[in-house]
Amino acid sequence: MFSAIYFESAVRDHPRTRAILRRYRDLPQIECERYSEIFNRKSQNFRLQKENPALILARKHGRKVLPAPGGYGFDAAGSHYFSHMLNCIYDCRYCFLQGMYRSAHCVLFVNYEDFADAIERTLSGSALPKEDAHPRYSQHTYSQDTHVPTRTDEASRGAEQVFYSGYDCDSLAFEPASGFAEFFVPWFAARPRAVLELRTKSTQIGGLLKHGPIPNCIIAMSFTTAAAAARWEHGVPAIDKRLAALRRLQEAGWSVALRFEPLMPDTNPDACRELFELVFSRLDSRWLHSVSIGLFRMPADYFRNTLKLYPDEALFARETRTRNGVTSLRHPNEEAWLRQIETALFRHIDPKNYYRCADGETDREN
Amino acid sequence: MNATSEHPSLPASGGSEGTVNLAVAHRLEAERLIQWFGLSEIMPREEFPCFEDGEGLSLVVTGSGAERAAAGVRYLHGRRLGSAWLNIGIAGHGSAAVGTGLLIHRIARRETGKRFWPPAPGLKLPGGSLITVSEAETEYAEDAAYDMEAAGFFAAASRLVTPDLINVYKIISDNPAHPLAGFRRGQVPSLFGARESEIRSLVAHLRERGARFAHWRSLPAEYRQLLEKYHFSVTRKAALGKLCRRFTALGMGPRLTVLVSKRYHSAGALMAALEGELAGALPVGGKDSNEPAF
Ligand code: SF4
Repeated sequence: MFSAIYFESAVRDHPRTRAILRRYRDLPQIECERYSEIFNRKSQNFRLQKENPALILARKHGRKVLPAPGGYGFDAAGSHYFSHMLNCIYDCRYCFLQGMYRSAHCVLFVNYEDFADAIERTLSGSALPKEDAHPRYSQHTYSQDTHVPTRTDEASRGAEQVFYSGYDCDSLAFEPASGFAEFFVPWFAARPRAVLELRTKSTQIGGLLKHGPIPNCIIAMSFTTAAAAARWEHGVPAIDKRLAALRRLQEAGWSVALRFEPLMPDTNPDACRELFELVFSRLDSRWLHSVSIGLFRMPADYFRNTLKLYPDEALFARETRTRNGVTSLRHPNEEAWLRQIETALFRHIDPKNYYRCADGETDREN
Repeated sequence: MNATSEHPSLPASGGSEGTVNLAVAHRLEAERLIQWFGLSEIMPREEFPCFEDGEGLSLVVTGSGAERAAAGVRYLHGRRLGSAWLNIGIAGHGSAAVGTGLLIHRIARRETGKRFWPPAPGLKLPGGSLITVSEAETEYAEDAAYDMEAAGFFAAASRLVTPDLINVYKIISDNPAHPLAGFRRGQVPSLFGARESEIRSLVAHLRERGARFAHWRSLPAEYRQLLEKYHFSVTRKAALGKLCRRFTALGMGPRLTVLVSKRYHSAGALMAALEGELAGALPVGGKDSNEPAF
């Protein structure tokens, strides 16, 4: 999986570092002062690095908890995100991370305790000023969304704060080595008024099952149609396997959510219908936390970077439109097409549990 | 991003096809490489002796020291475009046995403290750190390799290509138990000889990686044909390259060929026709093409 492990001198003796170095004892292990010496340097090439990514173990300095963007599924006033990892072990061609970083190495911040302290401080009232909130992008969706209130909002109103993990990585994909959920789930279990949402496409749910469900943790899993998954999602567990994992979680009492994203504009509503049939034949829709649909979108500068990396990639060679600094793929009749897909979805779920991450206007095309 | 796209020898139809440039400090370090890879000297001989195999592998003998190594890199770049670079040479070491081959993961220049991080290619070759010094090292104070060129080489090469295509490989010639004073230059070819398979695999790896990189960025032949047929400003030339790439990426190469064979009254009219053709285009023959569009 990795070509080498770099570790900052400052975390050399951290128990998580030691455990990971033991786990990867056959790989070159290289000490550095700061992860930024290796990660995201000028002229690095994400696509080349993705062929042989390294793992970098580092300490996260500075702000560890940031305000989530408005409308990101929860009430923005009490929503935050934190990133214990930068980059992902999977390789989805549509992922915005490849446009955001010049480097494809995965950085794991091992000082979870400091993240926990920062979350604790946020919970205890040193709330982040709302104007600090800036648009962020989940791996799938630009997050200034058309927002329909969901059960989550009710939950979050009852709770004090909501914390998202999985913006700059997949929350669970590296779980066997990172022990991220293993650390944070019990931590959140002891703080019932804080909600943790784990965004993932991973089936690494062993740690969750071992712990048992907690009411204030949501596992949000993303799906695209079978054709899109086969074409764009490299290294990601198959849809069937993801569904099996979600079902096990649901049966064990975990709160699960579905994210149907990113939808590509040539997705046939029939393919979505098939996906919905499959998904809702496996999961009990009555117990879903929430469901959303999102189109493919990427900040314009990330899209430009990605296009430079993949000039031979059909996905990025299509017609695009750029609106408010966000690039998406053009659809001649987007609203009607989306409504068709939503109608198919509403045959399976209560629309009250649904929100759309969509962006319907066009102001610049290329 | 890197200078390859501006190189005078870069063909209009794309980039170098997996070309690798090797840099060694001394003629004796070049000897086995010349033999293994069938390299011949590039004539006329100028400031730095250079060799090539005619198939994209070139070598420069830079002379000793970081500055000479950097100058040699720049010189070879001027004569032969490399999509990847590899520095090979002998080095001292604080603990490794004589004859050990090390793929270098970290280079520190003692004089300046500047550090460089060549990529780890996942070839399962033994790796290590290296310190580039300005005088031959006799103390071997650290558990690292010591050379006199790598930092200069890496700094210069990373101005020409992405650092993800630059490696450094060192063979240990001396250590505290076998100090430099006892080392004879004539041992160099046999030290290299013992590391032939590692060096070959590293060169092959860089060739493949460089070829892929060049391929991703290559332009279809139609691009060159259009440049010959019409006059384009610099900006339009870049836009034309992007349009041609979109045709190939979308599997519409045959359609591009048809358009190239037509006659337009100006470059602008041609560009408009290409853009019109791409409007609303979806990939041809992709896996989701069995899903009817819209
Ligand atoms: S799983 Fe998510 S974070 Fe990982 S590559 Fe795919 S889109 Fe990106």
